[in-house]
Amino acid sequence: MMSDWSHEIVLAASILSWFIIGAGLAQTTIYLLQLIVAAYALSRRPPVARSALLWHRYGDVAPPIALLVPAYNEEVNVVESVHSMLALEYPNFEVIVINDGSKDQTLQRLIEAFKLVKFRRPYEEALAHEPIRGLYSSPMTERLFVVDKENGGKADAQNAGINVCRAPLFCVIDGDSILEPDALMRAAQPFIDDPERTIAVGGTIRIANGSRIEAGRVREIHLPNRLLPLLQVVEYLRAFLMARLAWSRINTLMLVSGAFGMFRRTEVVAVRGFTKGSMGEDLDLVIKLHRHMRDAGRKYRIQFIPEPVCWTEAPETLSVLARQRTRWQRGALECFFRYRSMLFNPRYGRVGFLGFGHILVVDVLGPVAEVLGYILIPAFWLLGILSAEYLLAFTSLIFTYGVCVSVCSLVLEEAELQRFPRARDLAVLTAVAVIENFGYRQLNNFWRVKGWWQYLRGNQGWGEMTRTGLTGAKK
Amino acid sequence: MWYIWDLSIVLSALSLVIMLVLIARRVLQERRGRAQIDQRRQLHTALIAFTENRDREALKLVVLAVPAGVAINAGFEFISLLRGEEYDDVLAAFDECGLPALVGKQLEKGNSAERMHAAEMLAALRSENAVASLLSALDRDRSREVRIAAAIALCDLGSLPPLGIALGKVGVAGQRSRRLIELFRRFPPARFEELRDHAARTDAVPFIRAAAIDALARAAGFHFADFFARAAGDQSPEVAAAALRALGLTGHAEAPAILASAMANGDWDVRAAAADAAGRLGLAGLATPLSALMDDEAWTVRYAAANALRSFGQPGERLLRDIAASEVSRSQRTASLILAEGPAA
Repeated sequence: MMSDWSHEIVLAASILSWFIIGAGLAQTTIYLLQLIVAAYALSRRPPVARSALLWHRYGDVAPPIALLVPAYNEEVNVVESVHSMLALEYPNFEVIVINDGSKDQTLQRLIEAFKLVKFRRPYEEALAHEPIRGLYSSPMTERLFVVDKENGGKADAQNAGINVCRAPLFCVIDGDSILEPDALMRAAQPFIDDPERTIAVGGTIRIANGSRIEAGRVREIHLPNRLLPLLQVVEYLRAFLMARLAWSRINTLMLVSGAFGMFRRTEVVAVRGFTKGSMGEDLDLVIKLHRHMRDAGRKYRIQFIPEPVCWTEAPETLSVLARQRTRWQRGALECFFRYRSMLFNPRYGRVGFLGFGHILVVDVLGPVAEVLGYILIPAFWLLGILSAEYLLAFTSLIFTYGVCVSVCSLVLEEAELQRFPRARDLAVLTAVAVIENFGYRQLNNFWRVKGWWQYLRGNQGWGEMTRTGLTGAKK
Repeated sequence: MWYIWDLSIVLSALSLVIMLVLIARRVLQERRGRAQIDQRRQLHTALIAFTENRDREALKLVVLAVPAGVAINAGFEFISLLRGEEYDDVLAAFDECGLPALVGKQLEKGNSAERMHAAEMLAALRSENAVASLLSALDRDRSREVRIAAAIALCDLGSLPPLGIALGKVGVAGQRSRRLIELFRRFPPARFEELRDHAARTDAVPFIRAAAIDALARAAGFHFADFFARAAGDQSPEVAAAALRALGLTGHAEAPAILASAMANGDWDVRAAAADAAGRLGLAGLATPLSALMDDEAWTVRYAAANALRSFGQPGERLLRDIAASEVSRSQRTASLILAEGPAA
């Protein structure tokens, strides 16, 4: 009897082990493929070094763009952010700040700084959103409009902005982010080169913690002084330069970050805009766009451009980072299950197989398999099911492979973009690429499993994203 | 099992070596970068001195003393600030230093971003071999963006092959690029007829035909009004809308009839263009069809129609007020919104 019991345990352990190994291998293969495709994509489309050239080349034919900036309790940064957005280098754009029922002085600060006056502007009520209390324009600049509306969340605010804007393209950006002066021009490039097919473009998000920021511009790029944002720098490089670039190359990009993305208005209106209340409204929108275009049988491109840089503030404390990561995880799961009919559905081609397959392996199964691995592999070793030699060998392989992937994303950054100005920065990032495998990676997976748990329990809260402000002011 | 350990060791060693190489490369680049800043400064100083004293030999000495890459880029930036005789003199000095030949090489051997830039520089440097190099790029380059840049450069040099051939070399995929709008806007007046002929070709890509019409309307004006009037009835909505926009700029004796007919078109883009053109031309006689368009299912059309009525002045505003005071409907709401547009009371 005892023998049967132990046999079953060994069998269950074997199955679990193979599940963990299988999920790990699938992730490994995906990362490897991403690296190869991303390197190819960068070599095929090297960045243009000087923004003056872009203006010379594209200035006359650049399409109008509306910059949509949802703001909720952003009184600390909003005026400086708007000033920096108004100073962007693009021939034809308007900035629409959507005050999403802020409880602080966000609207008042804007009214005072830009001498805003109430204004009536006819617009198409194409998307549903909470009522607009008033529109404001500024006698100081024709480019600025402020929409004051009742609180409805980020997606709701963005939908209001889409309704009010008149440009054929709109760009969403977080109120506390900073765009590089030529970011719009670079992001608009695919819409100029292939205007009929391009429906969305995402750009790189970088971490501004530690950099010197003056008058809403990143004047000197530095690495963060604290470890937590430093770890996120390597993480972001991997996510943007490797993953998104690779998926973009094969037109399977599933995420255009809500912190900086450019979209064609007509198509977004056709899919009813951002989904209100969604945890991952940016992922949700891109999936809807893929589905809409594939259902309509139209040719389209959703692209990622590595150069247009949007600077953002990364969480500096574990509690805030944990909230952010669990939210991201819930967003990914919510979108995966909401659009599960697209998974491996031949109707959706590579989006169904590769895009959704990637979400399944990396976001749905990945964290569970990895955390199971952390718990079960040592347990099996303690129970004598797994030999110590294998345990050590596999563990070392997992870590060295993780380091290698991070290093390769640094290679992509260094080969084509070189945003970090000093050689010393590279040395620091190399050390971080090693360190992140010991503790941070495991913690991240723990938060993601926590996100899984919250999703299963139906927790829809965003949690508070406490920011210190990019200018250093506390809020 | 040892192979797992071996693999781990190989991956670790590989990562370490890669990063060491990258760091060493970056250190060298930093040094080179500092040197290049000095060299650029040196060249700019020499160029500024040249514009004052025209000492070509002194300029050539400096140009030849700095690395070719620095000379090309800094030189190109500088000449974009010059005009007339100064421009020609600097070009002659660059030519004697062999810079255009180096740019020609960059057009052949660089990555796609460098090749595009090289095409633009060749147009500015206007050397003897520029046209041959650009024609070769238009013919053979594997990147359509580079081929378009070569076509624009050739147009600037007055050597663009016949339009049909040039567009054929750009390729069908490239014929969707808005960069071609720029090419058409740079067309010399002597070749406008060619542009019109291409815009009239029903087998050509509609986007290109529309871009050609837009360029003709901006550059040639009324001269092609008859053509625009004919094209307004084109089967392609994109072409018809462009022709209507063009008519809105140039005007035409038959514009009222053409626009009235276009306002009943099945495509909203055409209806909106017709309404917009009516407003631009101040065709108050079209107030009735414009009023009807204010009930259109597409917001863009309703807005264009209401704006057109408003642009007619007092009679149009009066009509809008009447509609706004009528029973609740789509037209009534559009009229109210348009009348209310502007600073709130």
